[in-house]
Amino acid sequence: MRLSILLTLPATLLSLIYAQEQHSYTEHLHLKPLPDNSLYAGFTFTSTTPYTAYASNHFRYFPRSLAQILQYTHTAELHLRFALGRWDEESWGSRPRRGLREGGNGVELWAWMDGAEEGWSDLVNSLSGLFCASLNFVDSGKTTRPVLSFEPEGTLEELQRKRSRTGELRLLHGMLPHEVVCTENLTPFLKLLPCKGKAGISSLLDGHKLFDANWQTMAVDVRPVCTPGGDCILEIEQTVDMVLDIERSMRPRESPIPRPLPIEDVTCDETKGYNGHDTCYPRRPKGETAWSLSSVFGRPIRGSCALGGSEKQEYDITFEVPSERTVEITSETTIPQSTTSSGSRTYRLPQNADFDLNLPHQVLGSSAQASTLEQPPLYASRQLTGHGAERGGMHTLLRNPHPYTQRIVYLESLPWFLRPYMHTLALSGAGKMEKMFYTPLLDRKRGTHLELLIEIQPLSTVELTYDFEKAILRYTEYPPDANRGFDIPAAIIRVLPSSNNSQSKQGSYLRTTSLLLPLPTPDFSMPYNVIILTSTVIALGFGSIFNLLVRRFVLVEEVPGNAIAGVVRRVRDGVARIRGMVKGGGVGRVDNGGGGVVKKGEEVVGGEVRKVDGGGRGGKKDR
Amino acid sequence: MALSARLLALRRSPVLLKLPPYLSALCILVGLGWLLILPLNEYSRQTYISENAILPGQVHTYFGGSEHNVFRAYRQEVYGLSERSDHERIAGLGSVMREQGLKVANQSYSWHVAGEEISGTNVSGLLKGPRADATEAMVLMAAWRNFEGEINYSGVALALTLARYFKRWSIWSKDILVLISEDSTYGPEAWVSAYHTTSIVPTASRNISSLPIKAGALQGAVALDYPAGPWGQRFDKLDIAYDGINGALPNLDLFNTAVQVASSQMGIGCSLHNLKDHSDSYKDRLKTISKGLITQSVGHATGPHSAFMPYHVDAITLKTIGDGWHDEMTLGRTTESLFRSINNLLEHLHQSFFFYVLMNTNRFVSIGNYLPAAMIIAGSFSISALALWVQSGKPTPSEGTKPMRPGEKRKQPGMTVVKDGKNVALVPKEDLEVVERKMFIPAAVVLGVHLAGFIPLYLLNHVDRSNLPYTFITLTAATVILPQYLARHFLSNLPPQQICTIQSLSLLLLGATLSTLSTLNFSLAFLLGLLCSPLSFVRPLPSLRFSLEQSTRYVSVDDAAGIAANLAVVGPISVMFVAVSPPVVLWVVKGMFFGSAGAEGMLVEMARGWVAQGVWTGAVIWGVWWPVWVVGGSVLWSGCWRRPADDE
Repeated sequence: MRLSILLTLPATLLSLIYAQEQHSYTEHLHLKPLPDNSLYAGFTFTSTTPYTAYASNHFRYFPRSLAQILQYTHTAELHLRFALGRWDEESWGSRPRRGLREGGNGVELWAWMDGAEEGWSDLVNSLSGLFCASLNFVDSGKTTRPVLSFEPEGTLEELQRKRSRTGELRLLHGMLPHEVVCTENLTPFLKLLPCKGKAGISSLLDGHKLFDANWQTMAVDVRPVCTPGGDCILEIEQTVDMVLDIERSMRPRESPIPRPLPIEDVTCDETKGYNGHDTCYPRRPKGETAWSLSSVFGRPIRGSCALGGSEKQEYDITFEVPSERTVEITSETTIPQSTTSSGSRTYRLPQNADFDLNLPHQVLGSSAQASTLEQPPLYASRQLTGHGAERGGMHTLLRNPHPYTQRIVYLESLPWFLRPYMHTLALSGAGKMEKMFYTPLLDRKRGTHLELLIEIQPLSTVELTYDFEKAILRYTEYPPDANRGFDIPAAIIRVLPSSNNSQSKQGSYLRTTSLLLPLPTPDFSMPYNVIILTSTVIALGFGSIFNLLVRRFVLVEEVPGNAIAGVVRRVRDGVARIRGMVKGGGVGRVDNGGGGVVKKGEEVVGGEVRKVDGGGRGGKKDR
Repeated sequence: MALSARLLALRRSPVLLKLPPYLSALCILVGLGWLLILPLNEYSRQTYISENAILPGQVHTYFGGSEHNVFRAYRQEVYGLSERSDHERIAGLGSVMREQGLKVANQSYSWHVAGEEISGTNVSGLLKGPRADATEAMVLMAAWRNFEGEINYSGVALALTLARYFKRWSIWSKDILVLISEDSTYGPEAWVSAYHTTSIVPTASRNISSLPIKAGALQGAVALDYPAGPWGQRFDKLDIAYDGINGALPNLDLFNTAVQVASSQMGIGCSLHNLKDHSDSYKDRLKTISKGLITQSVGHATGPHSAFMPYHVDAITLKTIGDGWHDEMTLGRTTESLFRSINNLLEHLHQSFFFYVLMNTNRFVSIGNYLPAAMIIAGSFSISALALWVQSGKPTPSEGTKPMRPGEKRKQPGMTVVKDGKNVALVPKEDLEVVERKMFIPAAVVLGVHLAGFIPLYLLNHVDRSNLPYTFITLTAATVILPQYLARHFLSNLPPQQICTIQSLSLLLLGATLSTLSTLNFSLAFLLGLLCSPLSFVRPLPSLRFSLEQSTRYVSVDDAAGIAANLAVVGPISVMFVAVSPPVVLWVVKGMFFGSAGAEGMLVEMARGWVAQGVWTGAVIWGVWWPVWVVGGSVLWSGCWRRPADDE
């Protein structure tokens, strides 16, 4: 036993040295000021591990806690999203990373896995513990299996071949729109990083600032990357994207209240005729606001987190500003920097020294100000219509701003208590539905999965509408905040890459906002119970008294006979006679007044007597 | 069984059969009395905040300082815009909001009512809450013209200043929609109806464009009504308007929050229904209740907030009244605190009451305590109806048509032996006789009259403004004549049993409708119940015709004297009955509330309510009250046309 360990040791060491270069870690920060005094910050942390090391439980930068979950649940590729707020396409242009690292409001998770349901259940439960999120609520009712909406980012086929597995990997997708993303999710996220938020760009990630952003999304993406015929590595990419309001972020933490400014600090529009000492029409101050990394994020970057593979990496920070904009660097050491042709600046973080960027107040020329925003591939908005507790409607607007036809995949996974009327599904406007994948809901077991492949004509708007019915829930199925309404997950829209403009096979993604659906909710309060109880008592009392007052009591003989009653009586008599014959007479008592007796094992069906076999099933039927 | 036997015996009790009219009268008196004791301390309650999340007045408000300068500038700006064209005004309001960083959208609407057009354009801006995820929203409203038609200079300016101030806060967990509607009734109506639909199909009477900008589910709406001009005017009190369309009310928590914030935190006194001096005495409380009763029963909009109620969005209007020492900044801080409270909500407002009667800003009666008033009155009709039903099922006394005098001995009825198994009983023969009720004609008459009610409803809502008074005069005349006609040509030829059935059916319908209505619009049901109360006691009047054989030859003195005596009864009763007819009551309402506008003004308002606001008070008047009155009148006068000798 010991010998075998001794023998394998050199081999393991060898493999470790060999695999050393495949253990890597890089990080990158992308900063870009947006109109409306906003700042986009995109953090990317990438670590890799060779598949052999992963299989033998040897980790260097790859987070062990996550890897063990992936191993246990046989997950080949994993995508996890935490999102908050909305991206303002009109002001900020297209989404960062083409929407690939974005999720619907709340938590979203999809994975390609080997195992079946148990694996998925294990995965959501383990991730729930790891990220302090209620992912364990992603049950069968919230899980869908999209067909067209997602493509694996990794080389899954190669991986399967290498692992000599035959079964196909299955994609499962779940969303939790009600989940509020908060600091408790950020802390475990940072713990997965090698520098754990103490150094490198991750030192900027402070919960106070991150969750004060107008829009923010955290993503964890694990994918296998195999070279054809070669080795496989497992790559984890953690990203944080956010849009900060510069003015709001720069408020000191000790007095974050936006008190009205002293009147001296308000810029007044002096062209107004009524402008005076007590009257001031506010005007936007000219030029760009002065800001610095430390004032916006609350602290400077605390040195670099250069751990592995740093030779490959040339820079840590890309700062996308017009070339005219003055940028000052505050650091104890000299910083390697360069400027690209488009005006973006790139920096490399110093070892063991703070780094800060300073932008003074500056009035830019008109050419620099009109920095062209990239147009998003598609505009989408989704709204609930109608009011009342019974029915509602869904209304989605999709606008193609480009002068070419686009094909999109529209995925909607609806909870079971929203029952869409599929016959009302209508697509109007310049577009056509090419394909539809639809899995109908099963009450309490499965939600609706609706996937549409839509072609949208250039520069046109398409309206997608359908009506739905609101289910009535059992009273135990209501959450504690039943009157808030129920969150409907965002619709996921994938804009398929056009043939002439092939960016990647993924295309780009966008998600609508999640919705709040008011369901018929009982009043869970004492008065309600009292009303129900008293109504029941009154109904019972009224019913019996009304019955007595209104009913006409007549003798049996006075009742006019009718045809059916005659038939029934005849059958009854017949049954009694048969019974009498079988028992040999004298035993069977014919009870005409109280009604005939049907023998055990016989049933009267449609005026006929039929033998029912099997004792006990029929039971005793007294008619 | 003992109970049932006793009950069965009871239904033959002569005492019980005579009781209903007295019982009906008692019900009406009790119902009325019930309302009168509500203002007493023992029957009303102090208001309280039921939803813990609201925390009213717990936040410090910071609206002030340089915001005051901004407010003055905006007020000047609004004043400037008021002197320009509509188009420039809408563009100007939009540009102010756009400068603040709001997403701005316009919405145009128009209605055609009574040959006139109501049209306008709403401007709304969306402030995206930094903590919001587009699922919930609140509305800050300031109508360009307030409910009285004055330009809402300070209200609009304050809404704009608050929007700018709110934009800087990062605490909003719901989006804020700022709505500057063109007027106080139809603008908000158009906006909120478009908010809840995909696209409103334009019809002949309505054309509302859809809303390009929406947020999530609306959680609350607050309207500001402060028509002080560009140089400002301090106010004394805040009048809180809360009545919605069709008498729907906002959640009491929202109202309480506004009162609590205004009075406790800001020190502004609050009032209801423009009653400035409320001493909290019995008289003042009753006055407030009755004002509320009238507003709620009419069911029309009482401010910009009213349109929101049918969509289950709680809304109130803060209206400044009087001349005092509170300024716009105090109102601004009140609104700020109110919005902070609504922002605190985790769930849609649901904890507190939706059905209440307010008698002061801090006292109310809940549904359990006030509903019996209307229910008992509605019950009086049901009692009469049941009594008439029983009466119609009783065989006509064989002695003749004359009612039995008290003391008179009746022939011993024949007895029958009834056997049920081993039990043997002696039962009066009469009890076993079942008189078949002829139902077809009574049902047809009641149904026909009720259907005929749609004719005045249609006419009054589709006739041009100038023709409305004439239509109404014609309707009044027709209403008085119709029962006479029905009585003369239909009812006087029917046997009394069927007349009884007609009245029973009609009253049964009224009782059921009113008790249902009382849960939806208490005030309307209550007032309608009072106005209909004479109908319970309507019985055919004594005949005014001579008996057949006499009239052919000569008029006897006895007969003439009898008819004269009958006439002395018929005359006053007829006058009294006509006085409670729907058109006559509407004329009285016109005289009381529409002094200058006259009948035309009232009728146009009613038509607008029906067509544009979706008020169904008109339908209740013409579809419930009017037919019941016509049927009652027909029954009443059917006796006059009956020949005394016909009744064999």
